[in-house]
Amino acid sequence: MCEWCFKHGDGGKWYNNARLYRNELADEYNCSEYLEEQWKNMETLFIRKIMGFNSIGLGYKMKMPIIGKVIRKVVEGQIHSEKKNRNPVRADGHFGQVLPLEDAQHIIGNLAAEPIIKNYCVCRWMQRGVKDAVCINFGQLSEVIEKHTRYIPEGVKYKLDREEAIQALQEQNEKGYIASVWFQPVPYINAICSCETPECGGLRLRNDFDLRTVYKGEYVIDIDIDNCQGCKSCVSMCQFNALRYLPSIKRVIVDLDKCFGCGVCRHACKHDALNLVPREDVPGQAGKY
Amino acid sequence: MVKKTKIMVDHSKCHTGASTDPRDCRKCLFVCDPAVFLMHPTLEDHPDPHNPEIWRIDPIWLSKCTGCMKCVEVCPEQAITVVPGVTLHEMKAR
Repeated sequence: MCEWCFKHGDGGKWYNNARLYRNELADEYNCSEYLEEQWKNMETLFIRKIMGFNSIGLGYKMKMPIIGKVIRKVVEGQIHSEKKNRNPVRADGHFGQVLPLEDAQHIIGNLAAEPIIKNYCVCRWMQRGVKDAVCINFGQLSEVIEKHTRYIPEGVKYKLDREEAIQALQEQNEKGYIASVWFQPVPYINAICSCETPECGGLRLRNDFDLRTVYKGEYVIDIDIDNCQGCKSCVSMCQFNALRYLPSIKRVIVDLDKCFGCGVCRHACKHDALNLVPREDVPGQAGKY
Repeated sequence: MVKKTKIMVDHSKCHTGASTDPRDCRKCLFVCDPAVFLMHPTLEDHPDPHNPEIWRIDPIWLSKCTGCMKCVEVCPEQAITVVPGVTLHEMKAR
């Protein structure tokens, strides 16, 4: 349970709180208006100047003495903003968390508001030039995205029922994409993405610049040393460089500090050596999101 | 002072309407392993934000550039220049 669970979880994990998916909540925060403005300008997010700074060369800017610290504080404040006057073109209050396939499917099956659509991943298009319809959106966001034809997949059925969306998530997860759930803006939840590093804007800011746009999952991976046969299949699945094979001991080792608990590596394991355990049950990882 | 990586994209060669439209080309986006480049609608000419027509490619994550020069080689318009500098990885190790 991260800080957002305590704020918005109503006694559980934030993304398991049915209230945060409701249309009534979205209306209360004027989300439709926000989302419309945000998605009109999504691809200009990183080149747009915010208080004189854009993201060009962000790594160098954040390493500058004093100024770097100020930028970090301001940007994190914007990412997690719950203020009334949030700016949609800089995606204030838009952040998420990595989650395993089971949790993502539970959301689609039981909590997500209709209509459910899939659309082209914006990050992959603007950073890699690839059109990949892997983002599952629901509720008021679906209605907003439908107006923007450039996000809508061509020649395929993009309006999904719950079963189809669950199946789509399964396929994407098995391919190696990481499931993540998003506030947009906090506390309204309306998207489950299947992310890939380094293109994903959220994971980019988290992995490279340690900005909390994406929180680590509620789990970490546990390797059963007796079951691991050293086939290395799982290593190729990990997007966070958390898994590595050691020839000397003929098995895979994990760097738990890098593990996001996405569980994608499990799809590659044929020997039942990889299991997710709650992050809170691992003393060194508890509370580290 | 750290020596920053410099990447210049000559927008007189790479732009919507040129012989190779950035939206159709996207070769630099594809070859760049750390995904340094970003393709985006221009902020100035934004007649229809629902369906923008004019797109540009700009380098964004300069500190992630490892100086492999693949983008320079692949660009059909020779529009990209790279001057490698210190990477984010090196800065973190210090």
